[in-house]
Amino acid sequence: MSSSPGLVGTAATAPPRDASADGGGTAPATVGTSREQRVVALVDGWLEAVFDAVAQTRADTAALLARVAAEGRRPATADLAALRPGLHLRLTRDELVSGVGFVAAPGLLTDVPAWLEWWQSTADGGVRPLLLDLDPAQSAYSDYTHWDWFALPRDTGRRAVAGPYVDYLCSDEYSLTLSAPVAVAGRFAGVAAADVYLRHFEGAVLPLLRELPGPARLVNARGRVAASADPARLAGSLTKGTDFQAVLEGGRPVAAGGLRLVPCRRVPLVLVVDGH
Amino acid sequence: MKQPTAGGARRAVFAPVDNLARVEAVVHRLSDAIQLGLLADGEQLPGESELAGQLGVSTVTLREALMALRQQGLVITRRGRGGGSFVSLPETPGDERLRVRLRGWTTEELRDLGDHWAALSGAAARLAAERTEPDDLGQLRRTAEELAKAADTATRSRLYGRFHVELAAAAQSARLTREQVALQAEVGALLCLVLGDDEHREEVADRHRSVISAVQDGAHATAGTLAEECVRESTARLVAVRLTL
Repeated sequence: MSSSPGLVGTAATAPPRDASADGGGTAPATVGTSREQRVVALVDGWLEAVFDAVAQTRADTAALLARVAAEGRRPATADLAALRPGLHLRLTRDELVSGVGFVAAPGLLTDVPAWLEWWQSTADGGVRPLLLDLDPAQSAYSDYTHWDWFALPRDTGRRAVAGPYVDYLCSDEYSLTLSAPVAVAGRFAGVAAADVYLRHFEGAVLPLLRELPGPARLVNARGRVAASADPARLAGSLTKGTDFQAVLEGGRPVAAGGLRLVPCRRVPLVLVVDGH
Repeated sequence: MKQPTAGGARRAVFAPVDNLARVEAVVHRLSDAIQLGLLADGEQLPGESELAGQLGVSTVTLREALMALRQQGLVITRRGRGGGSFVSLPETPGDERLRVRLRGWTTEELRDLGDHWAALSGAAARLAAERTEPDDLGQLRRTAEELAKAADTATRSRLYGRFHVELAAAAQSARLTREQVALQAEVGALLCLVLGDDEHREEVADRHRSVISAVQDGAHATAGTLAEECVRESTARLVAVRLTL
């Protein structure tokens, strides 16, 4: 299992900082221009909207599981059908959300060992359920508990952004998955999550990156490029030698090795602009 | 000026879609469903025209497919009242069914399959060596260790396939991953025929570990070569089994 805390939205609970503070302190005055601040603010906003979909799914699921518990019984897959109207609504409402649902912790449900109540948008604008073979005797992919989108919220109790990664379990797409833990009476019950396909993310972000004066890209806490307007450093490549996790924790723009690094405030992505 | 190219390749593009390919597709679909237990032993299949309609093939194609399935012993057809086609899980062990399936491959097709697989896994290993950091290798390690411990051949073949799918994912390529998933769906079960041999299982597990090490060290060329060798060795063993049939 991979468990890099770097993927967790470390600044999730911090109040937004005043952009005017960015020119001071140890950073040179040129670090974090207002255009760069605008880019990270928009990216923050879009992914926060996706996290809203996750939060609603989490709230619906927690309420549902609490209701079932109050009836003195354990939940089954049939109970999760009540989540569907909300999931369908979220899929159609947010263009960045291509998959959304609740992934049960193994053993939560009485009728199956494991379950994803997961819905995806289709090319023609409809929605469809994801039906996976989760029988360990038939499928080598039946155990989903080691994926970052499941393990990080479970292990940290906090929301997380997993990826970019190739999602060969659910969508076959290069994706970001945003997720948050669902608990019932203080016990971990699974995760609520939403998928953002990288091609859609790039479609939204690229016009912004291209407006910046130097070659620009967005990288995650591990330095993996999530979207790029720099032909030499495309999505999926690694930017090595820089501690992006530290930049995210610092919460303010810094200059390093001819690069300007501008962290998003609430999601773990860093805008990297070539200053040369 | 652009002239249409002549010759076989162009003719092949506009040739009618091969009926044989459809027959094979139907045979594969139904035999996989039967062997996976999606269609139960003794279950009656829908009538010929209904089944042909559901599968989107002509009744002629369906009849040819049913004939092939009867020859494999997966379907029996009873005439008269209460007649029809019924699923029949043969008494023969899974290995025997797999040998029947392997007999459907020529050595040339197996060689080509191995080339395709080696191309996918070799390319994936090279890219993964550039694009992977230690945290990304956890899944591959877990799969390699599970394979080293797996007792039954079906589990071994599934883990073998999963390793190569995870390798493609580590390359950060959705296309290579999709191709690898499709390839494993085709070849996966056949690998049972060579992974029953503990010695080969050990060899594969060792090779997988070396691929992981090379990827971790960022040694692109070595990682690619090791992944290709691993695939070639298994394909060669599969060809050897085919030649005994």
